[in-house]
Amino acid sequence: MSGPTGAGPVIEVRDLTKRFGAFTAVDRVGFEVHAGEILGYLGANGAGKSTTIRMLCGLLAPTAGTALVAGVDVSRHPQKVKRLIGYMSQRFSLYLDLSAAENLDFFGGAQGLAGRRLRARSQAVLEQVGLLAHRDTRTGDLPGGWRQRLALACAILHEPHLLFLDEPTAGVDPVSRRSFWQLVRGLVRAGTTVLVTTHYMDEAEYCDRVGLMVDGRLAALDTPAALKARLVPGRLFDVHGPAAGSRGRLAAIAGIQHVEPFGAGFHVRMADPSVGAGDLAGRLDAAGFPGAVIDDLEPSLEEVFLEVVEGWPAPANAPEVPA
Amino acid sequence: MWTALLAVVRKEFRQAFRDKRIAFMLLAAPVIQMTILGYAVDLEVDRIPTVICDQDLTSQSRDLGAAFVAEGTFRRVATVRDPAAASRLLEQGTAAVALMIPVGFARDYARQIPIDVQVLVDGTDPNRAQVAMNASAQFLAERAVGVSLQRLSQAVAAGGAVRSLPQQRLTPRILYNPRLKSAIFMVPGVAVTVLLVITTIVTAMGIARERELGTMEQIMVTPLRPAVLLLGKCLPFAIIGLVDVGTLLAVGSYLFGVPIRGSLLVVAASSILFLFSTLGTGIFISTVSRSQQQAILGGFFFLMPAILLGGFMTPIENMPAWIRPLTYLDPVRYFLEILRGCLLKGSGFADLWRQFLALALFGVSIMTLSVLRFRNRLG
Repeated sequence: MSGPTGAGPVIEVRDLTKRFGAFTAVDRVGFEVHAGEILGYLGANGAGKSTTIRMLCGLLAPTAGTALVAGVDVSRHPQKVKRLIGYMSQRFSLYLDLSAAENLDFFGGAQGLAGRRLRARSQAVLEQVGLLAHRDTRTGDLPGGWRQRLALACAILHEPHLLFLDEPTAGVDPVSRRSFWQLVRGLVRAGTTVLVTTHYMDEAEYCDRVGLMVDGRLAALDTPAALKARLVPGRLFDVHGPAAGSRGRLAAIAGIQHVEPFGAGFHVRMADPSVGAGDLAGRLDAAGFPGAVIDDLEPSLEEVFLEVVEGWPAPANAPEVPA
Repeated sequence: MWTALLAVVRKEFRQAFRDKRIAFMLLAAPVIQMTILGYAVDLEVDRIPTVICDQDLTSQSRDLGAAFVAEGTFRRVATVRDPAAASRLLEQGTAAVALMIPVGFARDYARQIPIDVQVLVDGTDPNRAQVAMNASAQFLAERAVGVSLQRLSQAVAAGGAVRSLPQQRLTPRILYNPRLKSAIFMVPGVAVTVLLVITTIVTAMGIARERELGTMEQIMVTPLRPAVLLLGKCLPFAIIGLVDVGTLLAVGSYLFGVPIRGSLLVVAASSILFLFSTLGTGIFISTVSRSQQQAILGGFFFLMPAILLGGFMTPIENMPAWIRPLTYLDPVRYFLEILRGCLLKGSGFADLWRQFLALALFGVSIMTLSVLRFRNRLG
């Protein structure tokens, strides 16, 4: 149970590639994850997020490239890696017919925990995820959000320094998602490094850095702020009201770089960052759209994601990733 | 490794006994099955309903009719005079055998001329018909010999010449199961079948279920090794299977009087080897099925021929020649031969080593193949 001590990346991935027959699921991906960081992985279904995580966990052997997880080469010592990491998969893989404590018993035993240490750790993680009162409840009787917290408890039972979460909140209500992320951030504060894949843009905002995967390639990787500044430059406004106009006519106005329909109105991006809401109102007036309501807008990762995907060349091959 | 193994074993026991229906299937159902099968699959034939059609109505004909049903194989349901009435009873199914004693039976008997006594047998149940024919033929033959001997001794007493006739008599003596009770033969078969079904299906489904639920993937990111996982999954059902064998033997000997002539060590050793085969087959089936449903279907695809070819119901010698070689591939055949030999005849390792060797070969091969396949499927 040695943790990553000292400087240097906890995960080092170079040219990592996975092919299933003729289909390349992950294509020469490279990145580093530093200790105590939350790295988010965004991408469409089948973009190669899960395949990457599964290779890092030692579940899948890479076709090419290297991945060092906590200093261990995953393709050479997959078994060794498994001791150092916690993993939570897309579906909450728990035994529904066993109680919360019995699930912990089993997964703890599988990690080599036994006796007093196992009991102490079970108690600690149940308390951590707020399920101590439900330790003897059948897992199948727990609500979805609670089960997912129990799955997290099973993944951190052996105190891994590195946690892989593969779409941990898929299909969970917003309140449960929020409390789940509070738990994850708590773990990170205590020194755990987290690599998480997600579909939810609001969750990606929680991450220190975000990687965007498109068709098996890592298209971009940076902090959310840097991604926005680089990929969605200029200023963003929300334009709505009685005379918001049509997309085509808005886009024709000088200085407007991009128009995206949003709700009843539009998100309008100005190329010049110095242009304010007042300037935009004047230009709209001049173009024959008086009385439009204009609000300043912080660009979201959704814009970043759409920008990257739209700018990506058409996929050469894009079948579903084999399960 | 021991920690992990123990964790798997404990989890499997918890899951098996958490669900009351599964626990019932594992422990109580075998006994119920054996009790029902033991009574139902009774191949003994006696008390065959018989109508005596006495057209002669003499003391000699009455005497013949009474002797016919005295031994117990035949049970008199009616005595009629009219042959048409006897036929009607056969047609109705009230009687399965009719003994037709002709008019003039006593007269011809006194005149010492051959008499034709007819026996009508309902052939819808071939087994019962066979027994009825043999028993009636034997009865009439013995009666004829008895009459001849009686006459001969009377003649000898009168003339004072020959005292006896040299005869050759066939006296069959049936060993091990002298009363040919079929339960004694069936009980080991039922024990084998129950063990086969439980261990194969439960193992195949258990692994398929882990795959279906996604828990298999969760296990695979722990350092738990595939071989340890399989061992831990098999061990509980091997133990439950052995408990079942013990229970079935106890019930078999108490209810059906099955003897335990051989050593229990032979029973235990062969059971363990047999479990290797069935658990290995269960794992193999799980590696070719994606869901629990496929695992059940795959299980039956294996179980039906395994049971039928093993000689559980029908003797292997009676199977068509082209089928017989297939039975050598069936672990049921060897385990059944060992169990019957050990329990009924008291055979030991010295008599049964060929079967032990075959069972061990089959078990180790299928287990190795399955474990390798299982590991490759994960990788």
